[in-house]
Amino acid sequence: MTVWFAASAGAAALWALLLLVLAIATRTPDITPGRPGAPVTDEPPAVVDLITGGWRLCDEAASATLLDLAARGAVRIEEVGPELSLVRLHHAEGLNPYEQLVYDHVHSLARDGVVATGALAEGSRHLGRWWKSFRKKVIADARQRGLSQARWSRAHATLLFASALVPAALVAVAVTVADPEHDGGIGAGIVAYGALVYLAGRLNGERGTDLGVQAAGHWLGVRETLSNARYAEKPAASVTIWGRPLAYAAALGLAPRAVRSLPVSVPADDRRAWSDYGGMWHAVDVRYPSRLIWGRPPLHTVGRGLAAGFFAGFWTWLVLVILSAFDLWPRGLTEPGGLAVGFAIASVPAVRALLDVTGQTWIEGQIVRLRRSQSGSNDNHVNDVYWCAIDEGSSRELKAYSMAEDQWARLSEGDLVRARAGRRVGWIGEIEVLRSTTHRGHYADTQDHLIDAPRNLGEVRPEWGR
Amino acid sequence: MIVFGGAFAVLVLLAALLFISIYNGLVHKRNAVENAWAQVDVQLKRRHDLVPNLVEVVRGYAGHERQTLTAVTAARAQALGAHTPAEMASAENALTGALKTLFAVTESYPDLKASQNFAELQEELATTENRIAYSRQYYNDAVLTYSNAIQTVPANIVAGMSGFTAREYFQAPGEERGPVQVRF
Repeated sequence: MTVWFAASAGAAALWALLLLVLAIATRTPDITPGRPGAPVTDEPPAVVDLITGGWRLCDEAASATLLDLAARGAVRIEEVGPELSLVRLHHAEGLNPYEQLVYDHVHSLARDGVVATGALAEGSRHLGRWWKSFRKKVIADARQRGLSQARWSRAHATLLFASALVPAALVAVAVTVADPEHDGGIGAGIVAYGALVYLAGRLNGERGTDLGVQAAGHWLGVRETLSNARYAEKPAASVTIWGRPLAYAAALGLAPRAVRSLPVSVPADDRRAWSDYGGMWHAVDVRYPSRLIWGRPPLHTVGRGLAAGFFAGFWTWLVLVILSAFDLWPRGLTEPGGLAVGFAIASVPAVRALLDVTGQTWIEGQIVRLRRSQSGSNDNHVNDVYWCAIDEGSSRELKAYSMAEDQWARLSEGDLVRARAGRRVGWIGEIEVLRSTTHRGHYADTQDHLIDAPRNLGEVRPEWGR
Repeated sequence: MIVFGGAFAVLVLLAALLFISIYNGLVHKRNAVENAWAQVDVQLKRRHDLVPNLVEVVRGYAGHERQTLTAVTAARAQALGAHTPAEMASAENALTGALKTLFAVTESYPDLKASQNFAELQEELATTENRIAYSRQYYNDAVLTYSNAIQTVPANIVAGMSGFTAREYFQAPGEERGPVQVRF
């Protein structure tokens, strides 16, 4: 039995050694930065980002692509104020798949052909899936240009997967011998094989070709030149003046301000939302108030208020009894004192809840944030709070309301809704969707370009049409 | 006595720090309003510059629509002569109305509609209208923030002492504040 385990361990070690040798052999060679100068090749900024970032795509790539689209006239970026810039759709022709993906995202958000730059993080797309699709398309382009290749060739993959069968089989035998009932071996072998294949898969990725290494060296030389041009503080709208060099500077990590102002591939902020309710994009600040007297159904609020009043009254009465024993408080006023405090504390939520029950108002607007947060747990059950912030067009500061899970689950950000809400306890009792979101995320963010996707990166299943 | 004096000095120091902090905040907000107004001004000037070109192009194809063209020119002159935000908003609304009439009239002139020059001007003007609408929203938001700041306690005390006065919204009298979309 020990012999079999030792043999399987030895085989696994040998397999790991093989993996290590292959990993070293397939490393991207060291890149020597070329001479500083202007770009002489026309790789798109996203590809430049990939090959100069160790063949890993960085977050800047999507923003750099949008800047490139602006430099080439597919969109315009216009500054309205220090905190507001607009992306205006223009003439988009001859875009490659990932440029089209970025353009489609902008298009899906545009209102009258315009979207605020800050609103680029909005939309109902699945960001993780969107980014994966974008990455696959960039890699496909880099491979087509002969700059990148998969780390494991077909021969490497066959060798690794076939040789992994040996330690897995030995594990199966060892477990079968060790198990008195002799029935756990196959399962153990499958698990061991799966683990080894997973390990090999994790090490897979992109690596540079000779041409790619040469191009990366050239672009690192360009980076040296661009770093002297002080792009760091240039706003995105200055692409009108600086053109494509600003897009390349963004891809090379030299234009953080422009990249930050174009949040194409970052999640939307919970507390700072962009709404196009009323026809024009504008920012609204969203607050999620403490749930002391907010965000619960009116009856719950009354119940909690009564409980709080009882406890506060009891402790006050106790303190007053002690004080009166030392003649620091009149004896006849201990009960009234406790009652007064308890009543005062219970009355605040009770009155607010009562006012809401008797005077609930209907509000109409656009949902700008739908969030779920945990509010503790009991009996192994996690309690979630379901938040919904509605822009009614009357204020730039919103307080998110709470609501029941079944109602919350039916909603999407961007929906135009009408809700019966209590403004004092922050609870939505009833809500109806007047118009589902029509302009957010309804584009083929993955489906159109599956043909270009490298096979080893796995299939992406579109969910938008479900 | 010394304790009292020390406490008083600390209070004065805290009050001074609070005053400086609020004052700087108000200056920041006032500058934001001025910056936003400059953006509105830039877009309005751009619009005013486009109108004469548009009138000339239309005159070339539809010279006998004199009344409409004169109305546009007069509205532009009125807009150029306006000074306060409220006056300017009224004048700009009048100019928008005159331009709408002009574009309605041009529907009867296929040659004019087919003119590339006219199409470019029309698109440019529509883009400018959109920018004006966003600039206006941005300015009115900045004014709202500033107004809230100078009217709430304790900033209103500092504002009153240091000459921070209310700013006008960019809206015509009687007009509801909010986004205005104009499409030609």
